[in-house]
Amino acid sequence: MQQLEYFKAKKILDDYGIKNIESKYVNDAKDAQTFCGNDKIVLKAISEKALHKSKAGLVMLDISSGEVSKAYSELVKRAKKIKPYKIIAQKMSKKGIEIILGGRYDDQFGRLILIGLGGIYVETFKDFSLRVCPINAYDASEMLKQLKSINVITYNGKTTKLLENLLLKISKLLIDHPEIKELDLNPAIISENDYEIVDIRMLL
Amino acid sequence: MKNKFRDLEPMLKPKSVAIIGVSRDPNKVGNIIFQNYVNAGYSGKLYLVNKNAEEINGIKVYKSITEIKQSIDLVVIAIPAPFVPDVVEECGKAKAKSIVVVSGGFAEVGEVALQQKMVDIANKYNIPLLGPNCLGVMDPRSRIDTLFLPTYKISRSSIGGVSFVAQSGAVGSTILDLISGEGFGLSKFISYGNAAQVDEIDILNYLMHDDETKVVVMYLEGIKRGKEFIELAKTITKIKPVVVLKAGRTQAGASAAKSHTASLAGSYEAHEAVFRQFGFTIANDLSELLYYAKIFASEPMPKGPNISVITDGGGTGVLTADAIGSSQHMKLGTFSDEVAKKLRKLMPILVNIRNPLDLAGDADSKRYSDAILTLKDDKNIDMLVVIALFQTPGADSRLAAELIKIKQESEKPMIVISMGSQYTTMHKIMMESGGIPVYDSPSSAISSLSALYDYYEFKKGNNYI
Repeated sequence: MQQLEYFKAKKILDDYGIKNIESKYVNDAKDAQTFCGNDKIVLKAISEKALHKSKAGLVMLDISSGEVSKAYSELVKRAKKIKPYKIIAQKMSKKGIEIILGGRYDDQFGRLILIGLGGIYVETFKDFSLRVCPINAYDASEMLKQLKSINVITYNGKTTKLLENLLLKISKLLIDHPEIKELDLNPAIISENDYEIVDIRMLL
Repeated sequence: MKNKFRDLEPMLKPKSVAIIGVSRDPNKVGNIIFQNYVNAGYSGKLYLVNKNAEEINGIKVYKSITEIKQSIDLVVIAIPAPFVPDVVEECGKAKAKSIVVVSGGFAEVGEVALQQKMVDIANKYNIPLLGPNCLGVMDPRSRIDTLFLPTYKISRSSIGGVSFVAQSGAVGSTILDLISGEGFGLSKFISYGNAAQVDEIDILNYLMHDDETKVVVMYLEGIKRGKEFIELAKTITKIKPVVVLKAGRTQAGASAAKSHTASLAGSYEAHEAVFRQFGFTIANDLSELLYYAKIFASEPMPKGPNISVITDGGGTGVLTADAIGSSQHMKLGTFSDEVAKKLRKLMPILVNIRNPLDLAGDADSKRYSDAILTLKDDKNIDMLVVIALFQTPGADSRLAAELIKIKQESEKPMIVISMGSQYTTMHKIMMESGGIPVYDSPSSAISSLSALYDYYEFKKGNNYI
């Protein structure tokens, strides 16, 4: 399977109104500095050779304006082993709960959609729910109810509607794009009244 | 819809049956099947076929099915695998309407080509073929029984509304033996082995339309036609509950998966997702399969999740309240004021009026009856769990009889928990024959009520067409 280039994948999310964080390829520290402005940013090295970026130390978080050039050179050093690579600069997301949204093509049943407690806890807690696409509003609501971490993820119900709508959008995306064999939106950061997808992986 | 599903009616309701491979030797499969037909009292036309015999037990034996020259609804084939394709060809020529191949020695031992040859012939004549390598079918109403399991080894169930489907013959025969000890009766039993032609989709479709089947219970190893399964799943649970146990939970998943999603959501998870999405009741082992079959067989739709526990043992009452507390949807109900007042008047002073209602160790059938009859009309209570510990001085056969009487009047789900040895088992059988599901632990009782509640909630809430 081949990974779809980040900004092509981002474009697909944009087409469905699925909010994802502002991102840009940067060629050098200066580029990154300009993108940063007065905000805090994240720098990520991406390469076919490294699938789990954070485990490989290829994600640097919470970089403020004054630290950009130092962080950039450190990342370049770490990324040597995974050449060829590109560096993406992203705005730092709001604080919130990390969830995973995803999909995969199953030979038996077709397209599956997944939501779960995300980030680095995905494999530890395995708290997720799964359905076949297309899902309807009832399924979306049941998917959330099935999660043990529902109260954490939805801020005691405050973001339930938001997440249900997000699931319906992703289901539609998966149906419309049969070429996507696997999809990881991990993490998506859920705040008390909003969400933002921070990392995108689409495998063709 | 034509051709999408194979018609199993001639297989389960045959007016005439031919057994191919019937033998004089009482230990041979063919002879056991024949004996079972005789024992079951099958009243249709029975033909025996064996190349090497003239008559068995005074019944004429045909050399070939083509000699019979009569309409044959079902042919049961129990001859060595290499000879089966030719016999299927003869069945086609004889215009047989359905075939069950109990013989093994096909794809399960690597004889894939032989199996395919047989299927191709059945398809050419458009005959539904069940198996090979299966136990076949049983229907206590039409009294057909293709099982090569002697009746003295496996008790046969009474007639009822539960249909069992099992791919595996071994699991199938275990289930069959176990359910004969339960109070609910059997509608159909179908073991389909290698699923060379007739598969779980055909079977589910048949059972969905079968009015005698109130509950479908399945043991599945795999699903061959995923898309068709989903289509069928969307409809069947609107009509009747389906309880499913899927083997292969711990199968090594996609360990080398490239995405988190793929590593979390393997094949078993995909099956489970489909079951859940379309309202199947998922059992985690054979015991749960039977617990859920039992609750669906007799209990009506609960109006809500609120349970009242009536007990003659305080500790067991607390354990049951704990099981309710740790269940996702079940709730311990609060008695309405009116009912609480009524109970206060009826109960001796040592009985505290609260849920669980502990009737105390000296409770007799009268005290139980007063309590349950009052609670069954409480609008705050949706389901009744009666704990009857037959070790206590007041509990005897009169209690079991009283509970059966009350059960007949109750419009709400009502089940009994009884734990114990011989004396209890005797009463358990009595109550189950009287139509009350009896459970041997608080956890199995509450998970069964929960399965019942979840199914009807699904039925109300889902909006698949």
